Amino acid sequence: MPPSIHPVDLVATLRQRNLTPAIIFLTSRRACDEAMQSFERSQVTLPKAQQEQIARVLTQVTEQFPSIAEHPLIETVQRIGVAAHHAGHLPSWKIAVEELMRTGSLDAVFATTTLAAGVDFPARTVVVTQSSIRKARDFTDLTASEIQQLAGRAGRRGKDLVGFAVITPSPYIDLTVLTKGLTGQPEAIHSQFVITYPMVLNLLKAHPREQIQSILAKSFAQFQLNQRTAVLETKLDSLRAEMEPFGPRVCSDWITQWQVFEQARKRKKPRSPFARQESPDVAARLHFLTPGRVVGVTRGRGIILRQYRSKGQHAPMVTLLREGGSLNECPASIVTQVFDRTFDCEETSAYPWCTPQTLEQLTHHLTDLPPRLPILPILAHQHEETPIDSSIIQTLGDFACPTCPSRQACQRDFPRASRVRQEIQRHIKSIQALQTSLWHRFQERIDVLEKFGYLNATAQLTADGEWARLIRIDHSLLITELIRAEAFGAIDPPLLAAIMASIAHDDDRPGSFPRGSTGLVTLLFQVRKLAESLTPHEAPPMLRADVAALTERWVSDQTLTWIGLARLTTMAEGDMFRLFARTIEFLSQLKTLKATHPSLAESADHAIAAMRRGVLEELP
Amino acid sequence: MNTPELERLLMQQPVSLLHRLARGRISRHFRSGKRKLVDLLLQASAENRPGLESDLQTLIDERAQRPQPAPLEKTRPAQARSRQAVPATPRPHRHDDHGHHEPPVSLHEWLSGIGVPPPQPFVPDAWQVEALAKLAETDVVVSVPTGSGKTYVAIEATARAMRENRTVIYTSPLKALSNTKFTEFSRVFGPGQVGILTGDRREHSQAPLLIMTTEILRNLLYDAAGGEIDVRLDTLGLVIMDESQYLADPERGVVWEETLIFCPSQARLLLLSASIGNPQDIADWLTAIRPTPCSLIRHTKRSVPLRAGYLHPNEKLTPLFRTAGIPYGQPHLLHPEAKRLFMEYEEETGPSRSR
Ligand SMILES: Nc1ncnc2c1ncn2[C@@H]1O[C@H](COP(=O)(O)OP(=O)(O)OP(=O)(O)O)[C@@H](O)[C@H]1O
Ligand SMILES: [Mg+2]
Repeated sequence: MPPSIHPVDLVATLRQRNLTPAIIFLTSRRACDEAMQSFERSQVTLPKAQQEQIARVLTQVTEQFPSIAEHPLIETVQRIGVAAHHAGHLPSWKIAVEELMRTGSLDAVFATTTLAAGVDFPARTVVVTQSSIRKARDFTDLTASEIQQLAGRAGRRGKDLVGFAVITPSPYIDLTVLTKGLTGQPEAIHSQFVITYPMVLNLLKAHPREQIQSILAKSFAQFQLNQRTAVLETKLDSLRAEMEPFGPRVCSDWITQWQVFEQARKRKKPRSPFARQESPDVAARLHFLTPGRVVGVTRGRGIILRQYRSKGQHAPMVTLLREGGSLNECPASIVTQVFDRTFDCEETSAYPWCTPQTLEQLTHHLTDLPPRLPILPILAHQHEETPIDSSIIQTLGDFACPTCPSRQACQRDFPRASRVRQEIQRHIKSIQALQTSLWHRFQERIDVLEKFGYLNATAQLTADGEWARLIRIDHSLLITELIRAEAFGAIDPPLLAAIMASIAHDDDRPGSFPRGSTGLVTLLFQVRKLAESLTPHEAPPMLRADVAALTERWVSDQTLTWIGLARLTTMAEGDMFRLFARTIEFLSQLKTLKATHPSLAESADHAIAAMRRGVLEELP
Repeated sequence: MNTPELERLLMQQPVSLLHRLARGRISRHFRSGKRKLVDLLLQASAENRPGLESDLQTLIDERAQRPQPAPLEKTRPAQARSRQAVPATPRPHRHDDHGHHEPPVSLHEWLSGIGVPPPQPFVPDAWQVEALAKLAETDVVVSVPTGSGKTYVAIEATARAMRENRTVIYTSPLKALSNTKFTEFSRVFGPGQVGILTGDRREHSQAPLLIMTTEILRNLLYDAAGGEIDVRLDTLGLVIMDESQYLADPERGVVWEETLIFCPSQARLLLLSASIGNPQDIADWLTAIRPTPCSLIRHTKRSVPLRAGYLHPNEKLTPLFRTAGIPYGQPHLLHPEAKRLFMEYEEETGPSRSR
């Protein structure tokens, strides 16, 4: 039991201090539900008048959303004037709770932080119990902007003279994060512009390639890159001024001349004896092969425990924990994929290079990993400095430097001048990169689309490109490739809906689910294979068989009720709703392909009609 | 700079600098060590290495020019001061750890003034009037705290556009919010006047005010550019983007940018948000890419002042800060009682709290 205040006592304290209505943000949906349960057991009962008001509002909302009438919590809410509001609930229930809050009928709502932005849901007091939220598998600190959105729900204009944000501790709370967030400025926005395949197709449909660069220049991304450019240009100006005294001397490029002379004189080899012999790929990866990192090898996966160089050859090596718990010493080149996943690893200086606890934890982690992990994109760079050609390093006699009148000046100024020159070149390069990086990324996408045949060699849309541009959702490449591979030939609506659901669903919350038909299992296998082959160009979706099966059931069995469906799975109703809503969205994109793929569009249309019943019919 | 060089340079920097660099790149700063932060930075910038390099250089240069950190308090605008709800006596100019403070606020004082204001006739705030006036001439970014009344600006601007026979599009990031606004606007303008478009359903799609998610609007704009006009974009007079801080969303932010880039030039833009740190940048950007300039309406004073408190698990309630209101820009001004209770809490729960 976490050492934090009991929910019933919390609400009692707030009531007693006249601090209600309140929104109480808890760390998880489960915490919200448990708080509600603890009220069910308590003796709290509202005065009659307030109970009646709640009933009145609920009846009103139920007229619009009949599914609310069946909600198991109605009685509790009416009796105690407290409700929960989180993503596990159906939208209609959330609307009911919001309406109750707006009419001032409730004393408190337990909510998760997902509520924070954009829901019109104010209160006199906001209670915060956490300083971090769980995202994927990590706990991450709330940002100032998030904290202000949370606290900002407090103090209703016209209904309150002041609003209150109350912090009550729970394990893992970091008070500084919260005080800084409350007193600080929201974070500045940084552009998140990425170039997607549908963007490329749609832009090239409307504009010739020559115009694209000027369109990209209108992005906020480029605006912010320009801000950085401006800083660099000021710096460049001052560097150029610094360079002025080092203009041409006896030879016009005296800096290079002196550099070559120096090298020849010292007969210094250009690079250290242990120059990296490894390929640029391996070299680039090395920096990510840190203890705790999950990597893929030719057969299976492993976690890095240590990186070192072999005694004789100085070849890069790693100690790898393999599935099953064995420890291998292998060359770093064995690593084929670096995943975007690391675990804490408490290192030690001797075999097995980490503490026994860490080793045990990591072994567990390794078996628990989901089948598909995001891959880190790693750029391999060719070495930029090429060593000086040995033909240049001739005998010293060939150089004019030793007898040159400028020799002393050159010798004196060389370190500074060459440093400034390097800086200037670096800045020029950076500025160029800032100005062209979006266009480069766009071109990379063009190349891929051309390779797959959506664009021709002059970057115009092919027949396939013409319809593919209408698919403007995540995983668009996978979907259009599936269509082209005729995976959906004469597909039944339930199967189509199921596949779309598995592509649309991006939540890895575990749960129990019904089984899919054999047809579905076979088709999913093909989809998975195609998705894997597209990995270099598009991150694969999770393609969960279980959510696909759930969708298949809902579409194929028209007698199945929503409650009946909910019994088949441990998935929360709100999650089911979102899954289906997203699936319908994906299906309706297929519907737009009427002209070119009539039977697919028709199947999508049927699937949508079949999906939309019960609670799914309630909202626009 | 190649990857190893960049990495080496990053490793040489103090953690505080890395955190500044991580802002906006890594959506949350992980409370992990330097090593991991560097890894994350390298990963996050794989697509935009030049951006990272130049920012890094700027920070290093800044640091070199300013060896002693400047006092933080100075970055807060003076008006923040006036936000304290109960300025009992004028406070000393600058907080100073060695100097003496005024006595911390008492719980009684902190709790005083709770209540419902007497009903007042609706008078729009100056910033609301200004936003509407500006909108007649320019695009507008409104950046004011939560609960200030941004919806009023949206409604008045919509009514004006409707009087001029122009259509209005209102976008929100979430379907849930779209639904709430659909109900709210239908109440204001009458049910036939408001339509809603979602993934595949359209209700009253010919209505003068259309509510949709930003993705749907983006798709409409692409269709229009591709020649298939779906909704009458030529009569479009106003596009309202609520909760526009979603521009910074790692997954969906790009949709906001696409929408703003392709928004028809004859339509006015109205962006609403409570939590953007750099609204001037957004306004400058829109001014740069659109034919009409963009004005910024900004203020930071909450209409209903906020106070912060600390509630101990034993039900003891105390103010969180020494001042009744929130001391903007001065997170260290903790109330001694809150400090003491929290330290007690940390000691009790100590060993289990290592996360
Ligand atoms: N000038 C005003 N005088 C009094 N009350 C006002 C005024 N303007 C708006 N309000 C009221 O303030 C409340 C909050 O307004 P609104 O929902 O528009 O806030 P918001 O700025 O959109 O906040 P959020 O960022 O939380 O969405 C509403 O109840 C509204 O009626
Ligand atoms: Mg609002």
